[in-house]
Amino acid sequence: MAYAYLFKYIIIGDTGVGKSCLLLQFTDKRFQPVHDLTIGVEFGARMITIEGKQIKLQIWDTAGQESFRSITRSYYRGAAGALLVYDITRRDTFNHLTTWLEDARQHSNSNMVIMLIGNKSDLESRREVKKEEGEAFAQEHGLIFMETSAKTASNVEEAFINTAKEIYQKIQEGVFDINNEANGIKIGPQHAATNATLAGNQGGQQAGGGCC
Amino acid sequence: MSRKENKSLKEDTYAPSESDQKAEDAEPADTDGVEAEPAPMTRKRPESKPSEPSVAQEALMQKVQGPSSTEESQTRWGYWGNWGKSLLSTASATVATVGHGISNVIEKTETSLGIPSPSELSSEAKDVTEECQISANDSKRDAENPLPSITGAFGMFSTISAAVQNTGKTVISGSLDALEFIGKKTMDVIAEGDPGFKKTKGLMNRNSTLSQILREAKEKEEQRTATEVSMATEKRAHYGLLFDEFQGLAHLEALEMLSRESESKVKSVIGTLSGAELDALKAELEQLKEAFSLAEFYDDEEEEKEEYEDFTREIRGLFSQLYVSTKPDKLIQARNSACELTKNHTDQTAKEERQKEEDLQVGLGDAELEEKISVEDVHTSAIRSLAELTACSIEVFHKTAALVLHGQEQEVLAVDRAKALSQMTIVLCRELSSLSKNFATRLTAAGVEEKADVLNPLITGVFLEASNSASYIQDAFQLLLPVLQISHIQAQTELTQQ
Repeated sequence: MAYAYLFKYIIIGDTGVGKSCLLLQFTDKRFQPVHDLTIGVEFGARMITIEGKQIKLQIWDTAGQESFRSITRSYYRGAAGALLVYDITRRDTFNHLTTWLEDARQHSNSNMVIMLIGNKSDLESRREVKKEEGEAFAQEHGLIFMETSAKTASNVEEAFINTAKEIYQKIQEGVFDINNEANGIKIGPQHAATNATLAGNQGGQQAGGGCC
Repeated sequence: MSRKENKSLKEDTYAPSESDQKAEDAEPADTDGVEAEPAPMTRKRPESKPSEPSVAQEALMQKVQGPSSTEESQTRWGYWGNWGKSLLSTASATVATVGHGISNVIEKTETSLGIPSPSELSSEAKDVTEECQISANDSKRDAENPLPSITGAFGMFSTISAAVQNTGKTVISGSLDALEFIGKKTMDVIAEGDPGFKKTKGLMNRNSTLSQILREAKEKEEQRTATEVSMATEKRAHYGLLFDEFQGLAHLEALEMLSRESESKVKSVIGTLSGAELDALKAELEQLKEAFSLAEFYDDEEEEKEEYEDFTREIRGLFSQLYVSTKPDKLIQARNSACELTKNHTDQTAKEERQKEEDLQVGLGDAELEEKISVEDVHTSAIRSLAELTACSIEVFHKTAALVLHGQEQEVLAVDRAKALSQMTIVLCRELSSLSKNFATRLTAAGVEEKADVLNPLITGVFLEASNSASYIQDAFQLLLPVLQISHIQAQTELTQQ
């Protein structure tokens, strides 16, 4: 129950790339081949451990459909991490990445950690996007990259946890102002007192980055 | 879930204020101050600062500075001032109405338990103080720690507040818990009679949103449970944690986001209009707002015996009037399983009673049996059910908001949707009230052999959370107003463009 931090994540990307399946695999460890279309946003939460610290991930799984785009944008705010997902068997979902990225950068905070995910890696025979292409795109835009399969659970755990590690790293470096909830990070009840003093120090070190 | 997508509809139909919204986005989140404040142990309803003008008022302020004549702007300002005010008061007024039903039950329950009735307490603030003194003395006496009678009201209050802080953690005497609840109701009654005070309640306050208050309460609770792992039952039955577990908090937060965004869009549209157009829109928005006033709420305690099917049919019927491509299945399921729970407990208790008699006949002790169904178990499932039903209700409101904004065929007027939603709110609150009564009955049945100071706080806790649940649902309902307002404006715009 008790956690040191809470990170808010968003999952974005074209419809049908497997966003909801990734979430289900991560939170419930199961795969559901047929999924209802997501209306607006759905939620999932799970506790993970990083460097001995309990971290709660609160995940906002957004609707991928174009017609929902203006609504889902409203949900971006206050996310610490984003999983930007495409389908390796559908070239168009890869081609739309730039738009998604622009959207995400525009409607959320600049420090947000973005993980690029090429999903459905189990469907090697139908692959349309090479792994190297994904890697190149990620490198060009400063993202972390991974290929996953929500079906076989390959790399799913890693995708969510590596994003959290990156965020955690940024907190340690003082990039994130954890006292500002707009960054999608909240200090949990565990060691709240010690973290509060830590946060205070960080706030002091940050030049002009303070809140309030 | 069967869904028909209407891709043909332009998604950006309601984005005339994209830049305006960006400016909003750029604002630093004003939550830090709130976060720093010590969160209250008991949840409070959000309070708005009376001095803070509503968004609509601000928009009008800008208008007023325009070239229109002073008199005209005076009346206009007054009109809109009223608009904002009554909007603020809507929530609290309805809460009092809904709370009424519950406090009636409380009255019945508590009198049978020998606790002063809320009506005795609510007549005047002074009376409350006196009663407090008496009740607190009573409870103190129970705790074998007699309080000197010289102690004034001030000392009394601190005693009470200390007790309130410990509610649930320590088993304090039941009358103190009841007092907390009655005090809350009393505040509602006082608020009802005082239009000025009304303004201090409501949900339009941007500095402390409903989800924030709930989250703080939850965090506070987590903090507490982190240090006191031993209180396992307490943790199990904590409303805030359960509400979060059912994703109620997330849906509420998401709904708030949509509401806030819609509100700023409405504001910017108002900012672009003038003269007759503005007056017309004002009248239309006013009409929408009236549909949100829940005026038709009636407390039909007698009718409540009508079962299941009724709620299901009613909710489905109302939902179909919304014309949104989702179904309230989850909500109905949550409600039905809650009903099942209240029933199971009766059966089990009855069975237990029978068995106990048998056992006594064959000379077996009944200590073992008593453990089978404890009052704590009933209490836990009651709180859990309330949290789940509330979370599902808020999810339904959130989904409705998303789909309304999604801009499906506007075959239904925003005002009709508002009416259906307000009726739905009433049905949900009525359901919560009847659910809490049923759970209280089960608790009383399960706890016949418990001491009053064990049973009473549990019963009061169920009523308290049911009352809070009703408040959350009504506040969430109010968040839909800006959503329907902007949806109405869009529909109008489309109409004129055709």
